[in-house]
Amino acid sequence: MYLPKFTLESPRSIEEAVSLLGSGEQTKLLSGGTDLFPRMKYKLCSPGVLISLKGLPSFPPQIDEERKLIIDANISLTAITLSPEILEKAPLLALAAQKVATREIRNMGTLGGNICQETRCLYLNQTHTFQFTEPCLKRGGKECYFAPKGKKCWATFMSDIAPTLFCLNASVIVAGLDGEQQIKIEEIYTNDSLKPLSLKPDQIITKIIVPKTQSPSGNGFAKFTVRKTIEFAIVNVGVFLETEKDLKTCKKARIAVGAVSEGPQRALEAEDWLAGKSLSKENINKVSQKAASSLKIIPHHGYSKKYLTECLKIQSKQALNDAVEGLADQSNRGR
Amino acid sequence: MTTTQRKKIIGLTVNEETYELAVECQETLLDVLRNNLGLTGTKEGCGTGECGSCTVLLEGEPILACLMLAVECENKKIETIEGQSINGDLTPVQEAFLEKGAVQCGFCTPGMVLASTDLLKRNPDPSKEDIMESLGGHLCRCTGYNKIMEFVHHAAKLNRDNT
Repeated sequence: MYLPKFTLESPRSIEEAVSLLGSGEQTKLLSGGTDLFPRMKYKLCSPGVLISLKGLPSFPPQIDEERKLIIDANISLTAITLSPEILEKAPLLALAAQKVATREIRNMGTLGGNICQETRCLYLNQTHTFQFTEPCLKRGGKECYFAPKGKKCWATFMSDIAPTLFCLNASVIVAGLDGEQQIKIEEIYTNDSLKPLSLKPDQIITKIIVPKTQSPSGNGFAKFTVRKTIEFAIVNVGVFLETEKDLKTCKKARIAVGAVSEGPQRALEAEDWLAGKSLSKENINKVSQKAASSLKIIPHHGYSKKYLTECLKIQSKQALNDAVEGLADQSNRGR
Repeated sequence: MTTTQRKKIIGLTVNEETYELAVECQETLLDVLRNNLGLTGTKEGCGTGECGSCTVLLEGEPILACLMLAVECENKKIETIEGQSINGDLTPVQEAFLEKGAVQCGFCTPGMVLASTDLLKRNPDPSKEDIMESLGGHLCRCTGYNKIMEFVHHAAKLNRDNT
């Protein structure tokens, strides 16, 4: 399967990349290529110009004087799993990166690329030959085949890493023709499957900032797939628990879920409920139920809403238990 | 200075030999290895990063040649299955593959061998889970994977015996 023809630009600075990106609509950014190239081969998009980010200056993850973690958006997913700074300050990010696809894809794929990936759908991600006579809504047609006669696209956002950045209260630094700005990770998602990102055509994510956390914390990430590897999630859940000094009482919980709707979602109701409560088995069971029942779930890839809700309960519980087990290990080490 | 590329002459170092080639920017490393250099050991299965049969080592790390532009591999060291044996002497990984009969149609074999070579370099004594994790991106439609699991364990043993 060959790629369609395009022109490749290889800027050496962010400023050059931004000016190239702002110069026309038929441009797309190329980072790892693991999301873009399959879509180009399926003719889901045919950009005339690709702007490669591989030649941009890079830097390893850094911890600044305010104890914030600053990560280059172009870091490979393998490098995330190996970085001592990330393992120390944001182990949740490394847990999620380790669960993405396969070693080969993690060597190629980047953090920025993963959080900016396109939404996916069983009807969409294939060549047109296998689709229906008319292209689907996201492919430029008039109808969503998932919901017959539907005028809304129902493709789901599959990133494993984006929910963990929600948990870590991360921000992104975005460079554009108007200069740099820092925006919360939640704000880059539109919850619209046709255009999942709110970034303007001239904007590039250059850095990811993870703020310092105050309390002792526990991390958990669960991804449910049939084949365990090289598969997009049926559902994924990230959990970040800030606790009191006893490591058994939840001070603040952040639970985020991906792969079940048009964008990552925070389980705010469940988070509020758990705050101030003990991290007992009973409470974890209850909060998992609350997380699953309060979120928007779209049936996808052949899985029904009922099945996905059950999966979400189990995976939330798994991620919460992992976080609590991590806290118990910390407690044992402290003795 | 921005460089605009449509067709570019690049130097590719494949299996320690340097080639100078004129490639179009949309050509993947897989296209160039197979069509320009005749190195057809690297297979094209799905072409979209799902099967692992196009795996090559780029700077020693396994990547998918079907999703990597050839022009972006300039001045980087590429190893394909053809470069594994030296003067006909198979590597312990290849020997183990043969001894354990982990080949049927052979289409996935080059990718499996390279991914296993990478795994054993990082982890000389991998567990079953380590093997499943590292070879998870390689589809085999013939063997049912049991023989492949056996071969990686055997290759690890041969590697240890050799050292």
